[in-house]
Amino acid sequence: MSIEAINEQLLRAIGVGVALLDLRELRFRFFNDTFREWFGDVEIGQTLTDLFPEFDVAAMRDAFKDSVRFTTEASFRLRRRTMTIAVTIDSAEEGGEPIAVLVCQNISRIKELEAMIDSYSMMVERNTREIKREKEQVEKLLLNMMPRSVYEEYKSFGVVTPRLYEDVAVLCLDFAGFSEFVVENDAGVVVSELNDIYTAFDRIGDQFGCERIKTVGDTYITVAGMPDPADSASSSIANAAVRFVRYLEQRNRSHPIQWRCRVGVSQGAVIGSVVGVQKYIYDVFGPAVIEASQLRQLAQPMHIVGTRAFIQALPDPCSSEPVGTLDLGGKEPEEVFALTGRLDAAEGA
Amino acid sequence: MERSLFEKYGGFAVISRIVMDLYDRLLEDDDVGPFFENVDLPRIVDHQTQFVSALMGGPASFTDEQIRRLHERLDINDAHFDQLKVLLAETLGDHGVAPEDIDTVAQAFEQRRGLVVG
Repeated sequence: MSIEAINEQLLRAIGVGVALLDLRELRFRFFNDTFREWFGDVEIGQTLTDLFPEFDVAAMRDAFKDSVRFTTEASFRLRRRTMTIAVTIDSAEEGGEPIAVLVCQNISRIKELEAMIDSYSMMVERNTREIKREKEQVEKLLLNMMPRSVYEEYKSFGVVTPRLYEDVAVLCLDFAGFSEFVVENDAGVVVSELNDIYTAFDRIGDQFGCERIKTVGDTYITVAGMPDPADSASSSIANAAVRFVRYLEQRNRSHPIQWRCRVGVSQGAVIGSVVGVQKYIYDVFGPAVIEASQLRQLAQPMHIVGTRAFIQALPDPCSSEPVGTLDLGGKEPEEVFALTGRLDAAEGA
Repeated sequence: MERSLFEKYGGFAVISRIVMDLYDRLLEDDDVGPFFENVDLPRIVDHQTQFVSALMGGPASFTDEQIRRLHERLDINDAHFDQLKVLLAETLGDHGVAPEDIDTVAQAFEQRRGLVVG
C-alpha cells in the first residue's frame, strides 16, 4: 500500500470529520467517513449551505480577508441527539484553485457535560441557600436560649463549660394573681398577653445591657454583668426593673387586662451553664438567683424589692422603704427594702 | 445521620457518569427515546441530572406535584415506565451499584409511577 493510500485510509477513518470544498461556490469535493456518518445525506457537489442552512458565509469570507482560518460551532440532530461540532475552515490552494479544508470535531459530549455541571451547580447552590437559611434559623433559636458568647462556645466545641460568675445582678419578676388569670382566660389570650409583655421587657432589658435568661410561666429572669463583668450591672438591673413597672402602668391604662408585677433584684454569684442533654436549656442558678426570687415574694404588686446593700450601691440615689425581713443566710434575718423613688435615669423615659 | 447512596457511591464525581450513561441509553432506546425527540439538550440533561440525584438522595428533590406537572403532557404508559426502570437498573449495575441499592432506587422510582404514567 502506498503512502498516499495509507494517508487516505487514515483520513477516511479518523474520528474527526474532514471535508474539502471549493472556496468559490462552497461545494463539497471530498469528505471522510466520519463526516458522512454525522451528515448522512451529504453528497459530492452539494453546497455547504445545503448542509448547514444557518452557516454564516459572509462571516467566513470576512475572516478570510485577514486570516486563513475561520472557526465556528454548529449544532444538528443525529437521530434524537443534539450534536454540536466545532468547525475549523482553512483556506488553501490546490492546483491553483482556492479550496476550503473543513475539519469538524465532535464536542457534543463537552456540551452535555457543561449542561450537567450547570444543572448540578444550580442544585448545589439552591441547597446551599436552603442550608444557610436553616442555619440562620437554628442560630436565631439558640441565641434566644443563650447569650451569644455561650452560643459561640457551644458552636465551636459542642459543649458549654459551666462557669461561675462572681458578680452578677439578677432581676426576678412574676405577676400578682397569675394563677387566677390563667384559670379565667383562654389559653391563647394568656400566651398572647405574655408574649406582648415579655417582648417589651426584652427590648427594655436590651437597652440596659441585660440578658434575659428564661421565662417560666409568669416568672421572668434577666441578668446583667454576665457573661462579661460590668461595673454598672446593678444599675442596669434597677433601671430595667423601674421601666418594667413603668411599662405595665402605661399598658394597664389602655388595656382591658391589668398586669401587676412583683420584682426582686439582687447581686452576687451565679453559675451559668447549659443544662440537659436532649432537651437542653441555658440556665443560671445560684445565690443571687435564689435571693432575687425570695425578695420578689416580699414585693407588693408593682414594687421592686432589694437588699440594703443593693440599693445603697446604686450609682443613682433613690428613696426606699423597709418592707420586712428575710433570712438570706446571714447570722440574722436581714431587713429588705422597696424602691419608692424614681431612679434619676428613669425620669422621662 | 445515615449516608445517602449519593454519598456512598462517591458523590457527583461518580453519579455524573451514571447520569451521562443513562442519558445515552435513554436517547438510544426506541421506547423511551422519542419522548426526548424535540427537547433541548440542556433541558434533557438537567432533567436526568436531577432525576438521578433525587433518586439517590443527592442535592435535588422533587415534590410529587412537580413530578406530576413535568409528565402530565406526555403520553407515558406502564410499558414506558417499566422500560425506564430496566434501563435505570442496568445503568446502575454497570457502574458498580450493589443489587440491594439498585432495589432501593427502583423502589423509590416505582413509588412515583402513579405521578408519571398518564
